[in-house]
Amino acid sequence: MLLKLAWRNIWRNTRRTLITLAALTLGCGVIIGMQSYSESAYGRLIRDLTTQMVGHLQVHGKGWQAEPSLENVVENPRIVEAAIAGSAPGAVSTRRVIGAGLAGSAQNSSGVMVLGLQPDRDDLLTVVRGEALDPAVHGRIALGSGVASMLEVEPGGEVVLVGQAADGSVANDRYTVAAVVEAGSVEMSATTVFLTLADAQDFFSLGEGVHQVIVRLPTDDEDISDHVATMRAALDLHTLEALTWAQILPELRATIDSKRSGLLWINIVVLLIVGLGVLNTMTMATFERTRELGVMMSLGTRRGRVLGLVVTESLLQGALGFVLGAVLGIGVILAIGELHFGAVSTGDMLGVRLPSTLPLHIKGSAVVGAGITALFTTLLGGLWPALRASRLPPAEATRYV
Amino acid sequence: MTIDRPLLAPITMGLVLSLSLSARAADPPPPKPPACPSDAASPDPMVLLRRVEQTLEGTSSVGTISMSIKTESWSRKLKMKVWAKGEDYALVRILEGGPRETGMMTLKREKQLWNYLPQAGRVMKLPSGMLGDSWMGSDFTNDDLVNGSSLTDDFESKVIGTAKHDGRDAWQVVLTPKPEATVVWGKVEMLVDRATCVPLIDRFFDEEGQLARTMVFAEIKTIGWRQFPGRVTVKPADSVRETVVSYDDMQFDVSIPDDTFSLHRLQQGR
Repeated sequence: MLLKLAWRNIWRNTRRTLITLAALTLGCGVIIGMQSYSESAYGRLIRDLTTQMVGHLQVHGKGWQAEPSLENVVENPRIVEAAIAGSAPGAVSTRRVIGAGLAGSAQNSSGVMVLGLQPDRDDLLTVVRGEALDPAVHGRIALGSGVASMLEVEPGGEVVLVGQAADGSVANDRYTVAAVVEAGSVEMSATTVFLTLADAQDFFSLGEGVHQVIVRLPTDDEDISDHVATMRAALDLHTLEALTWAQILPELRATIDSKRSGLLWINIVVLLIVGLGVLNTMTMATFERTRELGVMMSLGTRRGRVLGLVVTESLLQGALGFVLGAVLGIGVILAIGELHFGAVSTGDMLGVRLPSTLPLHIKGSAVVGAGITALFTTLLGGLWPALRASRLPPAEATRYV
Repeated sequence: MTIDRPLLAPITMGLVLSLSLSARAADPPPPKPPACPSDAASPDPMVLLRRVEQTLEGTSSVGTISMSIKTESWSRKLKMKVWAKGEDYALVRILEGGPRETGMMTLKREKQLWNYLPQAGRVMKLPSGMLGDSWMGSDFTNDDLVNGSSLTDDFESKVIGTAKHDGRDAWQVVLTPKPEATVVWGKVEMLVDRATCVPLIDRFFDEEGQLARTMVFAEIKTIGWRQFPGRVTVKPADSVRETVVSYDDMQFDVSIPDDTFSLHRLQQGR
């Protein structure tokens, strides 16, 4: 009965209601669209980061992250990996060795980072030319694209590496170029060469030791604190450190957080403006109907019911605006589907390569959030005119012209 | 990992590898060095330092050197043979070291360095960006091998007094680089033995006046007319690292065939 009355009331001035609805629809649509876009981008960035370059969690020798040194290794990576597998079912781990050296071809030589990895377990590298490293084949090297062009070598060519091993001796060896690759960041592709883990351990005289055990959890969730806590509990943190990607790249974490809170404030401002529009509409609507409301109350309609009626009218518009806005926002995101950045995104964001394509997803929390905020603002926008209407003295109101 | 340390003074390597620093116009070899002004309370610093240079270097030298390097995480010993001619040519060959580095050679020709890498079987030229890096993991840098500077040409010097060190009477000499000289130090303080004109201690200060490195000379022995320190210890001021160089066998002013320093020969690993 109340709903029906409210529904009829809001369509008594069709034009005004349509304008209010348009504002609500656009507001909700923009919030859902923007938030879904930016959350898709963060989600993709974090997923790439956790599956490729950094992992969800990294285990190092204690103090390695703050001060990386060749000698500071995880001495028993097997034990660490077993502890992780035991404490976080489904987690995948892979080992890396990181050192420095000098790479030379017949043409040129250049200082490089040397990264040893398990090519069958590590998704860090994308082969541009040639074929991927094979863990069973020794004496092969993959060059970051920047290094390859600096040394002027292609797959099949030969590269000599020199460096200092962990025992202080001069490590030197000759490798056949298997591939030219792109790695996790532009910087990495420009400065790093890649060996199989065994070759790198041999080169740097590390034995079984590795510098990083990289852990990937079977989840795309951003909040991994529970997993991390159980894994940390299983590790010997007197000799090891276990850091999350957010601890390893704190600037990236901070940037995402600050962009998120920035967007939140934009949303609040958008809905505040829409809310003021609703307030204006409802004030006008009750003002116009002063006489009518006075008559209703004179005929015995209780004040609470008048209050309810006006609030319901406002909420009805909010709900309608939200539904239309959701349809708009979701529709636009689905219509775009996937963004292609092409050449624009060959850059890094704080040391992480940005993806070149971005599939957009509807963020459920954005839709729910927009719904709650839409109803909340229309509730607030309607409440004041409703209170005013319900407190009208019926005798005077009926005489109001 | 690369070892970042301030570029070490060229003086060091000139001394250690007997690369001639000051024998620019000294061909044929000086038959008789200037006498050591032992009796002078405050000798002319130029005379003193010229004598020091001539003592430590020659027109050419051949020698066998042991080097032991200690760091926080490892220590190791290398044995090497060194040939040097004038200030532009030197060759070092590792006789004993780790299994992958025995047979390694470093060739200096003028301002450039090449390494022969025995495991790779290849020669690699050192890019200029790596000059500041450690040579063979020691407390000497590649730059020490490449750049030549001279106590007498690149520094203003002053004898400021006398002191005792290790039971020996010594002059205290302060050297400050000339404005146009390409020297990485702000100041060098030396103690020079009065009896033999052999340096006893060199202290190297950076441009902020902080002690950066100390070299201690010991086991003075006689080679021909020379008195020569048989052992040099180098310690960077800010770490527990230490490199000790012992001269097992040194010959000065000997004739060395020119092709010793040929790049072609280096490429063949001989």
